[in-house]
Amino acid sequence: MLKRFLSNEFNILTARVFLGSMLLVASIDKIADPAAFAKSIGDYRLFSEPIVTVVATMIPWAELLCGMAMMFGLLIPGAALLAGSMLLVFTLALLSALLRGLDITCGCFSQDPAAARIGWMKIGENVILTAISAYLYFSASIRFSLEHYLSNREENS
Amino acid sequence: MTRFDKAWREGLAIAICSVVFGFSYTFVQEKGLFAKPASRRATLGTVSAAPSVIEIQEALSLFQSGEAVFVDSRHGFDYKLGHIRGALNLPLEEFDTKADVIASLPRNKILITYCDGADCNSSIELATKLMESGFTSVKVFFAGWNEWQGQRLPMAVTQ
Repeated sequence: MLKRFLSNEFNILTARVFLGSMLLVASIDKIADPAAFAKSIGDYRLFSEPIVTVVATMIPWAELLCGMAMMFGLLIPGAALLAGSMLLVFTLALLSALLRGLDITCGCFSQDPAAARIGWMKIGENVILTAISAYLYFSASIRFSLEHYLSNREENS
Repeated sequence: MTRFDKAWREGLAIAICSVVFGFSYTFVQEKGLFAKPASRRATLGTVSAAPSVIEIQEALSLFQSGEAVFVDSRHGFDYKLGHIRGALNLPLEEFDTKADVIASLPRNKILITYCDGADCNSSIELATKLMESGFTSVKVFFAGWNEWQGQRLPMAVTQ
């Protein structure tokens, strides 16, 4: 029953669109203001400033590209693996900040200092998104994807 | 090629593209890593001067002289449990909805923001927002409530 649910093509498509759109939305504010995102990462007090600046330059674009790859259906396993790895690291960073008692903003979606602060709810959200990434990584289906369309075209020609 | 091999290669390709796009975009737009020093300094907002951070001795001295008003950036729940005597509560996340509290803040006195202490940053963020709102004399008592309480300085509890 569960196996059938998980291998359903429409469920895979829904998961792809959901995770893809979440990643796209998450990337917008960060791309627009990398300095504010760097400050959000710095608040976690895990890395030195040069590392934080480089990470803040790359991560938003990785989110954007993974999001687009999932939405359009290109390089899905790679996008799922990369997005899942990033989400896992975010979850561990959140957990570490919570355990250290830091009262900081998440920096997950909005870079507004008054945005939602870290908490168990944020960890829950990240765990769900990580699980969806894992689901997409293990589901081999590429139906309703650009990759499927391109391979069909290649076969027909 | 196994599923992991394929995914690993694809993931690496996306990661490399992210580096290329990220660095190119920030370079062209002069943002983040490639921001000019002036705009880098103003990353907390549009104010040109950052709020100064003060130690407990200065905070106490300003408290005793009555030259300053303390602004507690913590949640209302924490404020009610205990705060610096005379402090007003302006939780950072309620900044946009607490126009009445902001309007009641004196402009002829020094505003000192604080939160729990070194484990929070809302005092700095609140100070920045206050400066963006036109308050010119804002300081951050970064050691905050933990230090004040630890030294048993004047406190108040809201019933």
